[in-house]
Amino acid sequence: MEALILEINTRGLHRYEQIDAEVTTIGRALDNDIILSDPTVAPHHLKIIRYGENSLELVNLAEVNPTRIDNRRVDSLVTEKLPLNLEIGRIQAQLLPRNYAVSATRSLAGKGKSSHLFGHAYWTVILVLICLFVGGLEFFLNSYTSFKWSELFKHVLRESVLTIGVFVLALSILERLLVNRWEIRQLVTSVCLVYLLYYFASIFTYELSYLFTANWPATLFRFGWHLLIIPGAVVLYLVHISHLKRNRSILLAILIASPIAVPSILQSPELRAMLDDFSSSARYQNSLSSLNWHLKKTVTIESFIEQAEDLEAGEFAD
Amino acid sequence: MFSRLIAASLLLAGIAASPTHAIDSKQIYQLNQERVFQVRVLNRETGKKSSIGSGFIVGDGSQVATNYHVVGQVILEPELFYISYVGKDGQEGELELLGLDVARDLALLGADKPIGEAIKMSPLPPRGAPIYAMGNPLDLGLTIAVGTNGGILNQTDDSRILFSGSLNPGMSGGPTFNDQGEVIGINVATARNDISFIVPSKFLNDLIEQSNTDAFSSDQDLKLEVARQVLAYENSYIEQLLENDWPKLDLRQFNLPGIISPTVRCWDNSAKLSTIVRYKRYQIRCANKNHVYLDVDNKFVGELTYEYFWLESEDLNAIQFYNLYENLNKDQIDSKIDRDIVSNFNCRTWFVEVSAQELKGNLCRREYVEYKGMSDVLFTAALTGHKNQGFFITLIMTGVDYSSTLPLIQKFLEQSEWKP
Repeated sequence: MEALILEINTRGLHRYEQIDAEVTTIGRALDNDIILSDPTVAPHHLKIIRYGENSLELVNLAEVNPTRIDNRRVDSLVTEKLPLNLEIGRIQAQLLPRNYAVSATRSLAGKGKSSHLFGHAYWTVILVLICLFVGGLEFFLNSYTSFKWSELFKHVLRESVLTIGVFVLALSILERLLVNRWEIRQLVTSVCLVYLLYYFASIFTYELSYLFTANWPATLFRFGWHLLIIPGAVVLYLVHISHLKRNRSILLAILIASPIAVPSILQSPELRAMLDDFSSSARYQNSLSSLNWHLKKTVTIESFIEQAEDLEAGEFAD
Repeated sequence: MFSRLIAASLLLAGIAASPTHAIDSKQIYQLNQERVFQVRVLNRETGKKSSIGSGFIVGDGSQVATNYHVVGQVILEPELFYISYVGKDGQEGELELLGLDVARDLALLGADKPIGEAIKMSPLPPRGAPIYAMGNPLDLGLTIAVGTNGGILNQTDDSRILFSGSLNPGMSGGPTFNDQGEVIGINVATARNDISFIVPSKFLNDLIEQSNTDAFSSDQDLKLEVARQVLAYENSYIEQLLENDWPKLDLRQFNLPGIISPTVRCWDNSAKLSTIVRYKRYQIRCANKNHVYLDVDNKFVGELTYEYFWLESEDLNAIQFYNLYENLNKDQIDSKIDRDIVSNFNCRTWFVEVSAQELKGNLCRREYVEYKGMSDVLFTAALTGHKNQGFFITLIMTGVDYSSTLPLIQKFLEQSEWKP
C-alpha cells in the first residue's frame, strides 16, 4: 500500500502525519513514530502495519481507552478500505489515502475586484458614509424641534459610529482569536451592511404593520431579526470571509448572536405578554402612516358600531 | 376623583325636640354626642380595627347611617370582616348591612335592638348658611367642624354638597347639621383646604325607605349587588347623556361635542407655543366628576373622559409629521390596576368614515373579575390621510355596561364634523 496520511484533529486544529513505514506506532510515549501528547492516549496505543499495495492492519495496544475504528471497538483489523475514522483516547483522527480529494479552493471574497463589495477599500468607505448618512437621516426624520448640528452629531455618534464601532471591535477580536487574522475592512463592510439592512427592514415592517392593521409584522421582524438575520449574517461572514467550516460557523454564530438576541427577545413585548399574562394597558394597533396604505376597508359609523357589539373583553389572568 | 374620601364618625348628642331657634356648634355637639358613633370594620380573627368611620342613628332607632366606603371591606370579604359601632359612652355592638346606595356612597346598617333616638333629617339650608359636621377624625374622639353650605354641585350629578369646612379621615359617614341640629347630609370626602363634600340627606331618606320595602340580605353576594347598582346608575347616566342636546366646540377643522353634561368640565391642555418646536398641538380634555367609589383599593369607576387632540405643522415633512403623530397616539386608561380586579384588554381596529374623513379607530374593552357585567372601555380614533394635520379623539368610560357605551361612541362620532 502506498503511503498513508493520518489527519489528527485536536480541538479543531488539524495536523497531518505521513505514514510510509511498514510499521508505525502511535502513542503518548516518546519512542512512538507519532506522538500524541494527550493524557487519554496510552503510552503505546495503536500500531499500523502496511501489507503490500492494498492492505493494512490496525492493532490496538491500549488497555485503557482502547482504540475505536469507525465507532466500534476493535482489537485488530485488517482492511483495504479507506478512509477510516479513528478514536485514539479522546483524539479524533482519520486515516486517508494520499490521493484523497480535498475541497475546492475558496476565493478571498473578491479580493482585488473593484466590483466586489469586499474587494476594495473604497466600498467600505462608501458604506460607512452611507451608514453615517442614514444615522443623520434617522435623526432628521425624528426631530420635531429646530435643527441643531450639535444634536445631529451626537445622534450620529451614538447611533451609528458607536454601534458599528462596538460590533466591529468585538467581532474583530473574536476573529483574531479564531483564525489569527485581522479582517477589519471586511468586518466594517459587513457590519455596515447589516446596519443598513436593519434600518430599511424596520421601516418596511412599520409600513407592513399599518398595511395589515396588525402587529404580527413587527413581531415577525423582531424575532426573525435576532434569531435568523443576525446569526445568518455571522455565518455568511465566517464561511465566506473567515473561511471557517459551515457547522463550526453556525455554532459560533449562535454564540456571537446570543448576547444580543437573548436580552432583546426577553425584553420583547410579545414574550413579556407570554410570560406575564396580564397587562393593565390596552395594547392597540396605534401605527399611523403618511402613505395610508391599508387593506382593511373603511366602514361607516353604523357598521363600525354594529361590528363592535361582538367585541369580547380580554382574557382573565390566572 | 377630585376629592379624597374621609374616614369619619360623628356622634350626635340627643336632642329631645328640634329647637326652632338657631343653636351653635357647642349645643349641637352636646345634643347629638350620644347619637353619633364610631363605625368600625373589625377582623374576625384578630378582633382589631381594619378601618374606621362615623355613623349616626336614623330610621327606627336601630338603624345607623354611614358611607359605603367605610364598610367597603365587608363587601369584599364578608367572611373575614364584620361591622361594629362604639359610642362616646362606651356603648358598642355589632351591626349588619341593611342597604347600600353605592352611587352616592351610602350604607344603612342595623343593630339587633334600638340604640338611641334617630336624628331628624331636614332639607339643605340656603347657600352660605352655617352647617356643622360631626365625626371621629383619625380615631381621636368625637369633634365638630364648622363651615358653610356651598350648595349642591351639579358636576357631581347633584350627589354632593360643597362644605367649606374641614373634614378629616375618620369623619366619613358622620352627620352634617343645620343650625337647628337637623341632619342635612352625610360627610363623605375632602379635597383639603376646607373644601369638603357632603351627601344630601334626601338620598339617605330614599335608602331608608327602600330598605323598608325591599328585603336586603347581607348574606347575598354583595359584589353582585354593588355591580348591579353601579351599572344601573351608569346606564341611567349614559341614557341621560344621550338624551341631552350636546353643545359644540371648535378645534381647528373639527366641530366637536362640547360640555355634554353638567357633570362634565373641559380644560385646555394644549402644549405651550415654543419657538423651537416645529408643530402646534391643541388639546381639550373633558371629564366628569361623578365618579363612584368601588372598593377598598380606592378604585373609583364611572369615569367619563373625552379628549380631543389636534396636531399640525407647516415645517415638518410627512414622514416627520407621522413619526410624531404616531408617538402621541398612545392614550391609555390612567389606572394601575391589578390582575385580581380586571381582565386584560381586548382591542380591535377599524377604519371609520366620519364626516367624509377617515379615522383609524381602536376599541378596547376589559371586564371586572368580581363585579359581573362591569367593563372599562377605551376608544381612540386618529385622523388619517392628511399630510400635515392630525387629530384624535379618545373616549374613556370605566365601570360601565359595555353595550351601553356604543350608542355614546356613535353619537360622539356622528356629532364630530369636519369643516373643510
